[in-house]
Amino acid sequence: MRASLPRVGQAESHLANPFPPLGIRRGALLLLAGLALTAFALSLALGPVSIPLDEVLRILLGEQASRETWEIIVVSVRLPKAITALLAGAALSVAGLQMQTLFRNPLADPFVLGVSSGASLGVALVVLGGASVSVSVFGRSALLGDFGLASASTLGAASIFLLILAIARRVQNVVTLLVLGLMVGYLTSAVVSLLIYFSLPEQVAAYVNWTFGSFGGVTWGQMQAFAPALVLGLLIALASVKPLNALLLGEGYAKSMGVDVRAARWWITASASLLAGAVTAFCGPIGFLGIAVPHLCRALFGTSDHRVLMPAVILLGGTLAILFDFISQMPGARFVLPLNVITSFIGAPVVLWVVLRRQSFARV
Amino acid sequence: MSNSRVLSPFRRIFAFTLSIALLIAGLASAAPSTAAAQGTNLTTGCVKGYRPSVDYFPQKVSLEDATGFKVEYFKNYKVVTVLNPWNNAKEQFKYVIVQCGTPAPRNIKDALVIEAPAKRIIAMSTTHLPHLEKLGLLDRLIGMDEFTYVNSPKVREMIKAGKLIEIGSGPKVNVEKTIVARPDFVMTYGVGDPQFDSHPKLLEAKIPTVINAEYMEGTPLGRSEWIKFTALFFNAEAAAQREYNLMKQRYLAVARKTSGIANRPLVVVGTASRGRWRMPGGASYFATLVRDAGGNYLMAANPSAGSVQISLEEALDRGINADVWLLNAFQRYQNIGALLAEEPRYERLGPVSKRNVWNYDKRLNENGGNDYWETGVGNPHLILADLAKIFHPNLMTDHELVFFRKIDR
Repeated sequence: MRASLPRVGQAESHLANPFPPLGIRRGALLLLAGLALTAFALSLALGPVSIPLDEVLRILLGEQASRETWEIIVVSVRLPKAITALLAGAALSVAGLQMQTLFRNPLADPFVLGVSSGASLGVALVVLGGASVSVSVFGRSALLGDFGLASASTLGAASIFLLILAIARRVQNVVTLLVLGLMVGYLTSAVVSLLIYFSLPEQVAAYVNWTFGSFGGVTWGQMQAFAPALVLGLLIALASVKPLNALLLGEGYAKSMGVDVRAARWWITASASLLAGAVTAFCGPIGFLGIAVPHLCRALFGTSDHRVLMPAVILLGGTLAILFDFISQMPGARFVLPLNVITSFIGAPVVLWVVLRRQSFARV
Repeated sequence: MSNSRVLSPFRRIFAFTLSIALLIAGLASAAPSTAAAQGTNLTTGCVKGYRPSVDYFPQKVSLEDATGFKVEYFKNYKVVTVLNPWNNAKEQFKYVIVQCGTPAPRNIKDALVIEAPAKRIIAMSTTHLPHLEKLGLLDRLIGMDEFTYVNSPKVREMIKAGKLIEIGSGPKVNVEKTIVARPDFVMTYGVGDPQFDSHPKLLEAKIPTVINAEYMEGTPLGRSEWIKFTALFFNAEAAAQREYNLMKQRYLAVARKTSGIANRPLVVVGTASRGRWRMPGGASYFATLVRDAGGNYLMAANPSAGSVQISLEEALDRGINADVWLLNAFQRYQNIGALLAEEPRYERLGPVSKRNVWNYDKRLNENGGNDYWETGVGNPHLILADLAKIFHPNLMTDHELVFFRKIDR
């Protein structure tokens, strides 16, 4: 069996190679890139406060705007938010794709390894645990803020991340990892419930607010940690395209193609946890995108080839994240809605529609 | 008397006088039953010798500003209805308060019957304490939900002396402890969420539990008029009416001072979190306070009576010209630097550069219990005077700030 299958790179025949050249999909990817750019530009130009288009351009080119507030809004509100949404959407979608392939499970999402539970635990410990260990109001003040939340959730996600990596080095099969992630999730949610039970209403409100998810909390200062982490995770993910394709056909097949399965699994786990953990840390647990975008891309491109899917989920994930954030604070609306409400309300029906239209999910 | 065999004339006169005196004393001790007829409610003890024709509540309350409850008086009982117990409530609560010593009415179906004047009450919110204190009824308080937040020196003394019990709240309310304490009623509040509310559990255990929905009132005066609601259970209508009038006079006096002012500072309220800014709506309790204190509230045009979330960019766009910023934050910021560390984009807000940032955390107890939510709720004239002084320092020179603290540089 092993001898009869060609190694990747040696096989030039289309019959022997399960992943043929990309062909027309290159054009489709370019189209997606165009869409992402358009969404990005739109989210800079449009928002609850209406700013003339030429003013936005002038501000982006570094010139003086005719109103100081416009400059603040574009430079320190809209721009970081758009970059955050783009990166976070891409990151969650990539992590979702990786997990679905690694576990060969269409229901896997970026959080299946438990990093977002770790982040929630970190936030809960800081926000809710403040009272239990009777830290004075003065000590608690800084921790309840956005910056404190980001640090806490980063710590929480990072510790689960390290735990999973340590185990991933030794673990023999992916099901063990899956069970581990699930159990971590149960454990942390139990601790979170316990903390909520003994907390003051104000603290519970701060925690619940975090769970709504938001791209608007990342400031330029936090961006210096957020963006490099995500870019690193995305680069690792892009480098893991070949092993992912191999894993699609089973670990035995991957081994036969010369893929070091254990190393591949470790790198894939590492980048997915980094991506999901960093997004959860800075934006809260954002649902839907991670599980749905890979499915949407498979349906749109009609392939499971990661050479296509990887760039596709990056572009579509980023585009959708920007779009959802845009909808959650529509221009002219009198109030803003929680991000997670939008992602699920709009996202779930779309995925359902895709699933029912093309039952391609069996191919994951 | 009875053991004197022979009564001399002197003794006879003495005995006669004594028996008259005893008769008068007896009548005096029975006075409660007749006091009603003389024009005052019975604030202690029970009626002896019930007569159906007597109006036992000659002193009644009339409502001026509160819209969340109503009361109907009958001869020996009163029916109070809480109309708007919480946001979007589907139910109303009806309580039949019966004069102690008189029979309860028959046709009341499942309404809760409570005898007045109540002798033992458990309060589940610090906002109920000023009512009792002002009505002189603190001695009827036997317990609270938790002691952590209490600011009132008198109540804290009672806690120290071990006179009060602590029953907890929400689904973890200690029902057994409450039953043993035998309260005449428990006063609580509801939000319509069984995860949070205490009354379902208490009522299930047949503990008389009363919903106080003062927080649903859209105006400060309406909120503090709930002292009359509390008073109903103690027949303390007269005291409530008097206290409320006094409080209202003081409130209107401050409001009158600012009403003619044309130069109103633009006021921004609340804080941002994760790119969104939560502010009280334009028809809310706090918006009314800002207006009455001579401020121009940023969200005045918003029709909401609750709170609204707007985007950070909109808040910054409108807040850049603001003059005063009232944080109304749970956390305590030591200085503006701490505020900016949390959200650097605050820096461009008008009040930050004008160094005009305030929070209502001047009076916190060591556990973070804020007297704003205790004394403040029952005394909106104090909050109003604070705000008026912040908005117009020259106008309120004789007022010293009670609840608000300026955030240092």
